[in-house]
Amino acid sequence: MNNKKPPKTLVLGIDTGGTYTDGVLLEYNTHRIIATHKCLTTKRDFSIGIENVIKEIELEDPSAIQMVSISTTLATNAIAEGKGKRVALFLIGYDPDLIDSFDMGKRFATPHYYYIDGGHDLHGQEKTPLDLQELLKITKSVKNKVDAIAVSSYFSPRNPDHEIRAQNAIASVCELPIVLGHQLSTSLGSVERATTASLNASLLAVLQEFIIAVRRAMENRGISAPLMVVRGDGTLMNDEFAAQSPVETIHSGPAASAIGGRFLSGEDQALVLDVGGTTTDLALIKNGKVTVSETGASVSGYQTAVKAANLFSIGLGGDSHITLERGYEIAIGPERVVPLAYLAHLHQNVRERLKALAKRGWPSPNPRELEYWFLQREVPASNAFTAREQQVLEILKSGPKPATEVLKSLGLLDPSQIDLSNLWREEITGKSGLTPTDILHVEGKHTPWDEKASQAALSVFSHYLNWEPDKFRRVFWESVAEKITKAVIHFLTEKDIPAKNEPNQALANWFLKNTLLPGHDQLETQIKLTIPLIGIGAPAEVMLEKTAQVFNTKLILPPHYQVANAAGAVAGSVMVTEEILIYPHLSAGNVDVIGYYLQARDGREEIEELEDALNKARKIAGENALSAALRSGADNPQVDIEMIQDGMDSYRIKARAVGKPRLEG
Amino acid sequence: MKMNKVDTEKAYHLLWERITSLELEPGEILDIAALADELGFSQTSIREALRLLIHDHLVEAPPRGLYVAGLKFSDLEKISTVRLNLETLAAQQAARHATKDDLVILQMLCEEIAQDTRELFTLDQRFHQAIAQAAHNNYLADTLQQLYGLSKRLWFLALPYLDFLPSAVKSHVNLVEAIRHQDETLSMEIMQKHIEEFYLKIKDVIQEKELVEKK
Repeated sequence: MNNKKPPKTLVLGIDTGGTYTDGVLLEYNTHRIIATHKCLTTKRDFSIGIENVIKEIELEDPSAIQMVSISTTLATNAIAEGKGKRVALFLIGYDPDLIDSFDMGKRFATPHYYYIDGGHDLHGQEKTPLDLQELLKITKSVKNKVDAIAVSSYFSPRNPDHEIRAQNAIASVCELPIVLGHQLSTSLGSVERATTASLNASLLAVLQEFIIAVRRAMENRGISAPLMVVRGDGTLMNDEFAAQSPVETIHSGPAASAIGGRFLSGEDQALVLDVGGTTTDLALIKNGKVTVSETGASVSGYQTAVKAANLFSIGLGGDSHITLERGYEIAIGPERVVPLAYLAHLHQNVRERLKALAKRGWPSPNPRELEYWFLQREVPASNAFTAREQQVLEILKSGPKPATEVLKSLGLLDPSQIDLSNLWREEITGKSGLTPTDILHVEGKHTPWDEKASQAALSVFSHYLNWEPDKFRRVFWESVAEKITKAVIHFLTEKDIPAKNEPNQALANWFLKNTLLPGHDQLETQIKLTIPLIGIGAPAEVMLEKTAQVFNTKLILPPHYQVANAAGAVAGSVMVTEEILIYPHLSAGNVDVIGYYLQARDGREEIEELEDALNKARKIAGENALSAALRSGADNPQVDIEMIQDGMDSYRIKARAVGKPRLEG
Repeated sequence: MKMNKVDTEKAYHLLWERITSLELEPGEILDIAALADELGFSQTSIREALRLLIHDHLVEAPPRGLYVAGLKFSDLEKISTVRLNLETLAAQQAARHATKDDLVILQMLCEEIAQDTRELFTLDQRFHQAIAQAAHNNYLADTLQQLYGLSKRLWFLALPYLDFLPSAVKSHVNLVEAIRHQDETLSMEIMQKHIEEFYLKIKDVIQEKELVEKK
């Protein structure tokens, strides 16, 4: 290997979060951060935000960059917003009645799923012959209605023959990309495997376009370095692998944050809390590693077989919308809006209007009047808008307006009377309101923008509640700490937090409340977290202060904690796992063991003696993992092999090749 | 194992499609920067894709500049000669090696009905690719695939003047039957006739309409 260290090994890590896209330029060997840059995430097309970071980050010599690595919520987001491509899913040998009776059809992430005769049994023996004719007939009828095809056959990890034959046949009659279940998952859960294949197929084109755009942006900046993408468990894969298995990027953002937190703090045991603009994500670091979820990652309610970090996310961040619930309770999030301080910073008249509103005597100002709508970008000429959308755009042309005013001029009372989801989704219009960021402005803790606007908004809110602004802030911070505390407890215990007024849970609720706000004369309750909190993200310091107190632990804010997520994108290792199954070949009637099957990803062979089979499996798995790790960009990967007993007389040989990413140069 | 980068691969397919369908005309200058801008790719990926297309004989790289390969009448002769022999070989090998799966696929492709001439060509091509697959010889299949790109340009040139649907489809049906019965001689005969007819028609049209330089 190359031991001669170049003087500076620069790598660029990029993380696209729900609100911001962060970039970090890092010296790889010393972990020294050289430059950082923050841009707004462009949800309509993530690559725009990434291009901006690549374009604008301070960089003397772009050709010195030796790796670019990206963690992205692209896949998660595409699934949540239905932006994935249309998929036809073939279920070979699945039992339609069983699927129906458990109502599992909607778990496949596509309405176009079809049952085909075929499939194998637990021993890898053909259960029913594959009905290729039916498969092709259906392919013919759907090929012009979908963009990709997924195939999952029953017990395909034991014997993928039917999936492979289906692939050959489908490829002969159409040009659609085809995804096979056994290539993505070796676990035997047939529904999760089908869902994983289906989601992967729907994301192929999405990730491909993304990689093309990022590569182009890199070239425009003169960067010619390997491009890596973070997996949901925080490990890295090169762009070729990512383009083939996009489903593995689910949860890559929060995983990268957790790894970044550990990387910058050096803590081997800690709870990482990444406070972003939209959400706060929790992950656990144990023995220096991010803990991985035992069950596969789930996304938008779809349970997959993808390995991902064990994460928990709540809709609370620096830009969460603070509103009134039931007329008198402070609600925070989950909606994200632009802080009023920022909107007023851009638009002078918003500040003036907010100040005037705060002084108005009659009618007394309502917190609803604090919600502003505005044009977020130039209205694209190509879009076809509805008449209503046109009207709203026309009104907003002259500048941001309170939502109440926009609705009034349309003769409406409530936002629910009008559907503007298109304008929000396309990020043509934006929403602004009171946010935690505004509270920080009022408190002077973080004041890049217009604190006068925040002050005015806060006074409107507290006046409406007949509170002093100080009381409002106190209640607000208590509410933030309560939310985060509950999230931490739930994440670590997996116990549900009872609803506030649940009569059967009076003691649990009292305990929680008394711990957060000591109020009993004789009983003091405390909770102790035995590991430190690591705070990540710009608002982490203030948002987590009180939570750390509640848990009687320290809050660690590593250097550059504001962009630790992006540092985490380059801090991970390249990892490839290769599994081989060994299971007995039984004689007719399943009486005697004739030999053992060795089922690798791409083929099956039979070996008479178990010991020989296991040895051969170790050898093949190790070699395959090693070469795959090299192909996916690992430098000097190390292989470890374990054997797991997997039911009667069946074994799983698992080879894991791990290495630091190979840098150019 | 795939050797090409994601973007190169995609750019290659896009450009292949444009060149073989004559959207990019024979002899046209290929400007890498302009193509990168138009298609939204990095210049590197366009350059790499064009390199692959040079290998396919679809792009020419004289000492200076890059061009879409020209089309000459002599090309038609050369291409048809090679294809005639290799397709016939594929038919014979298919009759010998076709599996049950192959027969199901061939049968299905025969039964597909094209809505227009363009689609018919796609179907015809898929049928020939399936025959090549049924021959179970990947070298043969790869070579035929390359010839397909070259052939497609000639066909697109003649397309506006062509009308030869039913007989071609009928020969497909007969060919599948011959393969099913493992009749190698008959399979070869049908294929030979099928390919000869195809090139004869294209040749007539191209000569008659003077669509390419006579060299």
